[in-house]
Amino acid sequence: MGIVQENTAAMVTVQEHDFDAAALTAQLRDDTAGKAGAIVTFIGYVRDYAPDAPTHTLFLEHYPGMCEREITQLCETAKQRWDILDCKVVHRVGELHHKEQIVYVGVASAHRGQAFRAAEFIIDTLKTRAPFWKRETLSSGKQFWVQQRESDARKTASWADPATLEDAASTASNTGATADAGNATS
Amino acid sequence: MTGKTIKVLYFAQVAELTRQREENWTIDAPISAAEWLSRLEVRYPQLAPVARLKLAINQHHAPHDSVIHPGDEVAVFEPVTGG
Repeated sequence: MGIVQENTAAMVTVQEHDFDAAALTAQLRDDTAGKAGAIVTFIGYVRDYAPDAPTHTLFLEHYPGMCEREITQLCETAKQRWDILDCKVVHRVGELHHKEQIVYVGVASAHRGQAFRAAEFIIDTLKTRAPFWKRETLSSGKQFWVQQRESDARKTASWADPATLEDAASTASNTGATADAGNATS
Repeated sequence: MTGKTIKVLYFAQVAELTRQREENWTIDAPISAAEWLSRLEVRYPQLAPVARLKLAINQHHAPHDSVIHPGDEVAVFEPVTGG
């Protein structure tokens, strides 16, 4: 599936086709030029389910309408909580192949710390709030729906509890812009 | 949506188990989500245990102590796994 013309202006997009991460970041840069001192981006990819269980395809189902609204709400919450200028999320659905891009999160801010925190908040909370469901098809032919991980629920909970916010924030600022992209499915 | 019906949506694993994606249910009066889930389990025993299932009412996450009203859109699904 090729890349079609990107609707880079939207804050939140759920789409079947692949996205152009560079175009999305360029749009974010244009929109915040002169004000933004930092843009943090996260890209999640389809990876093997496990080292001994290579993935053939990943199918993503979603709840249209609620899905976009939930992600928009997470972006709005991030804007209220941190001093960020803009953010952008693109999430794919449908049948995705091994190594393909799944999700893009981009956040622009005057300062990097705020952008790191907001970006990590958005991807962490998206994983437990946005109504998407993944079905794995392994190279062996085995097919199953992915179960939500307890660690994902704990990460979301940590963002809700002000007592642990500082810990979460310091973890966020140690994370590379597109580092550990396997997080998307981990 | 009219009268005393609710629109029920099933997603992913739940849709596979019920072999339905959408159906209308009749409810006589507002009902707690927990009570409605127990009715769902009677209709679709293959969904048991229903306590693990998540609900959205009118496209908002809804805990099991929420109240479902006639006219609502109720979605039933396993914990989400996006990202």
